[in-house]
Amino acid sequence: MKHYVKMVWPYVIWAALIIVLPLLLIILYSVTKNGNELVNIQFTLENFKRMTEPVYMAVFIKSFELGILSVVICLILGYLLAYFIAGFQEKVQNLLILLVTIPMWINTLLRTYAWISLLSDNGLINSFLEMIGLQPLNMMYTDFAVLIGLVSDLLPFMVIPIHTSLCKIDQSLIEASMDLGANRFQTFWRVTFKLSIPGVLNGVIMTFLLSISTFVIPKLLGGGQYTLIGNLIENQFISIGDWNFGSAISVILAIIILVSITLMKRIDKDEIEEE
Amino acid sequence: MRKHRIGQILYIIVCFTFFYLPILVTMIYSFNSSKSLTKFESFSLRWYENLFTSHDIMYAVWVSVSIAFLATIVSTILGTLTSIGLSKNRKILKEIIINVNNVPIMNPDIVTAIGLMILFSSIHMEKGYLTMLLAHIVFCTPYVITSVYPKVRGLDPNLANAAMDLGATPFQALTKVILPMLKEGIYAGVLLAFTMSFDDFVISYFVTGNGVSNISIIVYNMTKRTNPTINALSTIVILVIAITLILVNVIPNVAKRRKEHKSVT
Amino acid sequence: MKKSGIAKKVFSVASVLGLCASMLAGCGSGGGSKPTLKVYSWGEYIDTSLLRDFEQEYDCKVIYETFDSNESMYTKLQSGETYDILVPSDYMIERLIKEDSLQPIDWTKISNASNLADDVMGLDYDPDNTYSVPFFYGNVGILYDTTVVDSADLSEGWELLRDEKYANDIYMYDSERDSFMIALKALGYSMNTSNTDEIDKAYEWLLEQHSSMNPVYAGDDVIDNMISGNKALAVVYSGDGSYIMAENEDLGFLVPEEGTNVWQDAMVITKDCTEVDLAHKYMDFMLRPESAYANTVEVGYTSTVAESRDKAAKEDFAGIDSYIPDMSRSQDEVFRYQDKETKAYFAELWTKVKASN
Repeated sequence: MKHYVKMVWPYVIWAALIIVLPLLLIILYSVTKNGNELVNIQFTLENFKRMTEPVYMAVFIKSFELGILSVVICLILGYLLAYFIAGFQEKVQNLLILLVTIPMWINTLLRTYAWISLLSDNGLINSFLEMIGLQPLNMMYTDFAVLIGLVSDLLPFMVIPIHTSLCKIDQSLIEASMDLGANRFQTFWRVTFKLSIPGVLNGVIMTFLLSISTFVIPKLLGGGQYTLIGNLIENQFISIGDWNFGSAISVILAIIILVSITLMKRIDKDEIEEE
Repeated sequence: MRKHRIGQILYIIVCFTFFYLPILVTMIYSFNSSKSLTKFESFSLRWYENLFTSHDIMYAVWVSVSIAFLATIVSTILGTLTSIGLSKNRKILKEIIINVNNVPIMNPDIVTAIGLMILFSSIHMEKGYLTMLLAHIVFCTPYVITSVYPKVRGLDPNLANAAMDLGATPFQALTKVILPMLKEGIYAGVLLAFTMSFDDFVISYFVTGNGVSNISIIVYNMTKRTNPTINALSTIVILVIAITLILVNVIPNVAKRRKEHKSVT
Repeated sequence: MKKSGIAKKVFSVASVLGLCASMLAGCGSGGGSKPTLKVYSWGEYIDTSLLRDFEQEYDCKVIYETFDSNESMYTKLQSGETYDILVPSDYMIERLIKEDSLQPIDWTKISNASNLADDVMGLDYDPDNTYSVPFFYGNVGILYDTTVVDSADLSEGWELLRDEKYANDIYMYDSERDSFMIALKALGYSMNTSNTDEIDKAYEWLLEQHSSMNPVYAGDDVIDNMISGNKALAVVYSGDGSYIMAENEDLGFLVPEEGTNVWQDAMVITKDCTEVDLAHKYMDFMLRPESAYANTVEVGYTSTVAESRDKAAKEDFAGIDSYIPDMSRSQDEVFRYQDKETKAYFAELWTKVKASN
């Protein structure tokens, strides 16, 4: 394999130019003032200081709450779905997993718009409720609507890695566990679930990443008052034009995500070492 | 056991309803004669007519598909070669590359988008098709590497040497021995890359210019007024994808897959 | 060696999609060496068939791009993108003039200039129309559901948006400039103030409204929502109001007595433009009565071309009083250029209003 060591160089150069360099630019923007011209660059920590203001802290906290909530919902719904799917014959499993993947191919924006027509005050769900004589519900522009939108968008990202790791589990381990007197629940918890943890972690990381930084779904389903980190960054760059503050928020967001993922990966390692 | 199965099937159905309800709504309203997305008036094909006569939408379809193709091809090649080269590299370099590679995956889309936008404008690169393609390769390649690299690590390092001892050139060993063993990882990477590229909105939105828009950008720009033309487009996309995937997956594969599975276990 | 299933899957999906795309896209990227005009305008702001007509008539190519706010247009320009023609709003044009990004219009090249209505010319942001050719105009008002809102309450003006009878039943517009305009006008101040006391009072007004009324800060989704009659009150631009009222008869449009924002979007030529002649031809083309009529009917915004506007008012928007906004009220104002500090202050307060609980 030594012969191929050189094959990494194109990517190293590529990554340096187009992955690392933009990051450095963002960091540069985050610690400068009016930093569009390189001539009169001024360093400052003002942008980071601003973030400690209560409004912005509130935005961070809200984003985290929503991110964690949607990950938990996805995990519960997704694990069950993956687990049930894994119980079918190979042929059926393939078809079901295929059906889980198809929605991912359809534009997220489009699916979100469809949710709007389902959830709005005079929308399809409410028309249906009225038809069967129930009170219409106020769903649009609430946490509920945002969660529905997020979960339906993210669930496949949870189901697929979990299903993959469930499939890899050697059936004989489960049989062995049952033979040794463990009941169904014990077997599930100590064998199946434990062995599926890599998939779970992959799913959790993926959904957490996507949910914490989303801005289109909350904007469409939650209305303008639904300010999350993603919206805050978008606003700074698009409508306010404060690239420096926007970059600072991006840097903080990136750091938070980096730390959370490192922590999650550590859990994964600990679990394996425990075995 | 029977009883369990019924509960499970019901659950699966509920989940799938959740996935497919919005898609179904999109499809149904593409046949609505009025513009409303909540009241169905009567059956009509006017949005399909609009779709096929709309120059902009057709061009956006072309952009989305061709970018997804090119980005997938380039990132698959780049990602696979890098993964293979990576496994025997010095530890420090390996760690660095893997961590850098994780950046576009872990960074929120919007941060990647902003970074690229700043980069392209500071080197005065004209925004358009090429910048969009480059950006897509940026975020697709890491997905290929993360799917291929674990497979490379799982390879027996002596394989290539054995092949070369038997007279194969390094290139032959690569194409005849190593690549076939990485198949699954590569296919997974291809699928991921294509999906990510095809569905991307945020990054494309920030790095494009000169009238080059993909489907997501067109959808985003169209939504000032509901425009069921886009429903018609997504109905076609859904049908094409669904039919192709199902045909390809179900018919020739059932038998083969089962055989494969048996031989593995 | 047998090929695995996924490979085939991928390749067939890819090839089918590719085939479809190439068939559908057809002559996607034709053009060649024809002169090219890059136009950057609001989304859904034109009858796009006019672009093809223009291309045919002048044997050129038009690249038409859209934005969703003046600010995002400005960001795009800052990021190094270049265009020939822009169609931003008044205060943004003023900013572009101040920053020396525009070329003066050569009015002698615009033979249809005489078609423009008198009351749309010479607004404060560009008093002599040196740089701008008005395209659409309008004002801002409250769209109300006549079946829910008591007509006696209409005299409350902007305070209607704080009338607790309609709590949970209103859409505000998710833009700091428009929201502060409402609060400032309701309090009797100028919408172009840079006095921090006045701005702070407006902030209190909005904060109080947020907690007592629980409004939804919507974007363009308000259009569909109001067509479906989802809520009783909504702040909208008159053009959107006309469009919505044409679809939903139960609505009225209130322009509060305290005064409102009158706005105008105009075509301007950038300094980057090299096809200056063609750019003038484009503007002239858009001022033809038949083009202007097609645009206004398609979009619902009020045309600046008198003949087309009157025809649309009589035929397509008959009985919809928001279609022709009154430009003569002295209490109304046009948005002016804000200095950086005021703009940042508005933005920060607006984030606080929305994030408050």
